[in-house]
Amino acid sequence: MIVVGGLKVGAIYSLAALGIVVIYKATRVVNFAHGAFVLAGAYATYGVVEAVGLGYWPAYAIVPLATGVLAAAVEMIVLRPIRRADIFALITSTIFIGIGLSEIYRLVQNTEMLGVRNPVSGRPIFIGDVIITKEQIWVFGGALLSSLIGLAIFGYAPLGRGLRALAANPRGAVLCGYSIDGMNAMAWFLGGALAGLAGVFAAPSSGVSPELAVSMITAGFVAAVIGGFDSLRGALFGGLILGVAQTLAAAYISSATANAASFLLLFVVLMWRPEGLFPEAKIRDV
Amino acid sequence: MSRGRLRALGPILAPSGSLLAVAIVGLLLDTYWQYVMAISISAAVIGGALAMLVGYARCITLTTGAMLAIGAYASTLPVVHAGVPFLAALLFATALGAVAGLVLAIPGVRFRSHNLAMITFVFQAVVIIILRESKTLTGGAEGIHVPPPVIFGLSFSNDANFLLLCGALFALVILPIAVLLAGPFGKNLRAIAANENAARAFGIDVRRYLIAAFTWSSAVIAFAGAVSAPRFRIIDPDSYGLMTSIFTLTYPIIGGMGSIWGGLVGGGVLRLFPELLRPLADYIDLAFCVLVVGTLTFFPDGLASAVWTVGRRGRKPSTGSAAIPGVAVARIAELSSATGFAPPTHGGRHGADAPVLTIESVSRSYGALRAVDGVSLSIASGALHGLMGPNGAGKTTLFNLVSGFVRADRGRVLLSGVSLENVPIERRIGLGMTRTFQHAATFQRLSCLDNVMIGLGRNTVFEGTSRSIAAALDRESFRAERRTALSALAAVGLGARADDMASALSLGDQRRLEIARAIASRPRIILLDEPVSGVSAEEAHRLRELLLAVNRELGIAMVVIEHNIRFLVSLCDRISVMSEGKVIAEGDAAAMVDDPRVRKVYFGEREVA
Repeated sequence: MIVVGGLKVGAIYSLAALGIVVIYKATRVVNFAHGAFVLAGAYATYGVVEAVGLGYWPAYAIVPLATGVLAAAVEMIVLRPIRRADIFALITSTIFIGIGLSEIYRLVQNTEMLGVRNPVSGRPIFIGDVIITKEQIWVFGGALLSSLIGLAIFGYAPLGRGLRALAANPRGAVLCGYSIDGMNAMAWFLGGALAGLAGVFAAPSSGVSPELAVSMITAGFVAAVIGGFDSLRGALFGGLILGVAQTLAAAYISSATANAASFLLLFVVLMWRPEGLFPEAKIRDV
Repeated sequence: MSRGRLRALGPILAPSGSLLAVAIVGLLLDTYWQYVMAISISAAVIGGALAMLVGYARCITLTTGAMLAIGAYASTLPVVHAGVPFLAALLFATALGAVAGLVLAIPGVRFRSHNLAMITFVFQAVVIIILRESKTLTGGAEGIHVPPPVIFGLSFSNDANFLLLCGALFALVILPIAVLLAGPFGKNLRAIAANENAARAFGIDVRRYLIAAFTWSSAVIAFAGAVSAPRFRIIDPDSYGLMTSIFTLTYPIIGGMGSIWGGLVGGGVLRLFPELLRPLADYIDLAFCVLVVGTLTFFPDGLASAVWTVGRRGRKPSTGSAAIPGVAVARIAELSSATGFAPPTHGGRHGADAPVLTIESVSRSYGALRAVDGVSLSIASGALHGLMGPNGAGKTTLFNLVSGFVRADRGRVLLSGVSLENVPIERRIGLGMTRTFQHAATFQRLSCLDNVMIGLGRNTVFEGTSRSIAAALDRESFRAERRTALSALAAVGLGARADDMASALSLGDQRRLEIARAIASRPRIILLDEPVSGVSAEEAHRLRELLLAVNRELGIAMVVIEHNIRFLVSLCDRISVMSEGKVIAEGDAAAMVDDPRVRKVYFGEREVA
């Protein structure tokens, strides 16, 4: 039962981590503003579902589009001029872009926490002793499906081929007719859209607040590290592992240790397997 | 005190002087301003400490809040719970800050950029969790009352004398940071930020330097946290949270990364805004974010230094190369006499035959690719040895094996008969070997003179520290190093550009600077990786004259990788030809070009193409 709850949270983490990895693979920038993109997605969900009252189905389409555009705009307006600068300037910029977006949210919306209703309701399902709510199934399934779609786009669609070419050899990609500017913007769009989806799925259970941004960047980063940072599949599994580990720690030790568990995982993976549990090369052999 | 000594000490005492001056000016104002000034100078000290880590070493640290908390709690708890005197508690807190920096950095500096940032973030979070959860000791989230500091029976409880105490203590604690950053220690941090591999090749142990930087800056930040804690009356973990870490990071970035002043001014000024603009408090954080991103985009050197540069726009850097071959060759003789080294007994290209470098059947594979495959080579003292071969033949890998960047799978390398097997990269310059890099690897944000001073190779953390003190006191030992470096610069024809930034040089002059840096320590052998790639034919000719003069006058042996065959043949006595990881031919330079084996692997390719 706990594991099921963990998988639900983990699937959301996977989505967040996937976005970080997509952006990192294509542009070599670790986007510390990613948590704020998830927050933006959750806030947009609140707007669509609660404020306008359109319900959930439009949210699944509108929100990722909106956060994708937001991310692409950040790349084009803020990061493009300093792309040639060193990695220090780029990473620092994303940190402050993230904080800035959270601050904008805080200024626009004075309440600390906005609630969003559940997408599905109904009686939980009993399988033996295990109680599974429909919401858990919905979020887990939906988030996992979104992740797989993201994976498929990056892995098989023509767009993904360009992004992978950019990741492997930027100059070569340009020679083959890909536009670096366009591809960078596309990578950020795709990453932002994945963050937005994470926001849609996270909104009902965790609410909308700046806290969400911090917890999502942490979890997304840790999940990406577990997966090796360079591997989309790794990020997917990393998120699930992290979700289960956190939920187990919270259930069996104390709720305060949930964060400690993710830090411990991060530390252990970085120290003993900096290439991650699912390094890209290994998957390529399969 | 001599005038020269004053000139050296002035810039180092200036940060302390200005902190004290601000405190004294504050005494003339009302209590509100005294309170504001105390906040401002403590932020200035934090900014100064971050200048070391963020401005110089360019590490992203998100742990400032935790270090401030460690200082605040470690100074308060002994006073409250055990009645320890304030000064003793302050010392304890500073030491604990240093230990915390060490504990964070030892695992942390295995990583850079985002992973290092994340590790500091984790450290920050863990410290705050511990403080919040140890309720019996720290009062948990409610916080703990901090009594005013008492020193020798004197209580610093009002705003005026507290400000004075802050001024005095901060003036003292910023001094070591000022000394280190102004001297070789700070320059070595810069070198690390510019190019880690080049830094290591010249004896800078990157990890130890970063650990030292984390330790120093953490100690000073903990000190600042300890001194300013009494002002808050009550301290609680949440006022030292992640946001504190992130907003202190703005101090050196907005102020400027170029010197300690960026951090000092950035901290001192930026910390004023939240205090003075209370009505706008909601917008301050967002304004800071915009300011940081704007600064990084438009003024990568910081706002303070942008203002500074506009003020000095009148002074243009000297342009054009001062490289006149005749002069340069003459100056090399000066270098050999100026350094005080004994002139080599067998100088010149026809020197003694005792090998200075011996490579014994060295191999290195990457997966199935045998990059270097059983290569043996012997370089006589003072010899000029060329290394050629098509791209991917393993030439640069061989250099990396010899200079220690790559470990050999099999075989060994001897320098003057000493096996290099367990000698780390950083110690090889001390054994008489330096190198240049395929892509000119000068330290961009340092002056030409500073580049060459790093080339002297006295760069362990201990040497960097003691030389910084020597520089601050203008000791004769440091002046002698300066003279040696200047004569090396003059020898390559860059004497007039000693104070210019390396980044301002043309590619050809960057190559010269690399040579000056490589010969400054008077090595026995230099590895030159494509010294004339990308420079004009005329410049290549001048560089050849320069290298010949260096070899003739200083007796330094050279191994040269170069695709420019004419250059290589006219420079070297012997040439080895590599192909697919093996040496396929070796012999007299001129003869090699006509060797059928060489034509086959080397020129043959061109015929096919």
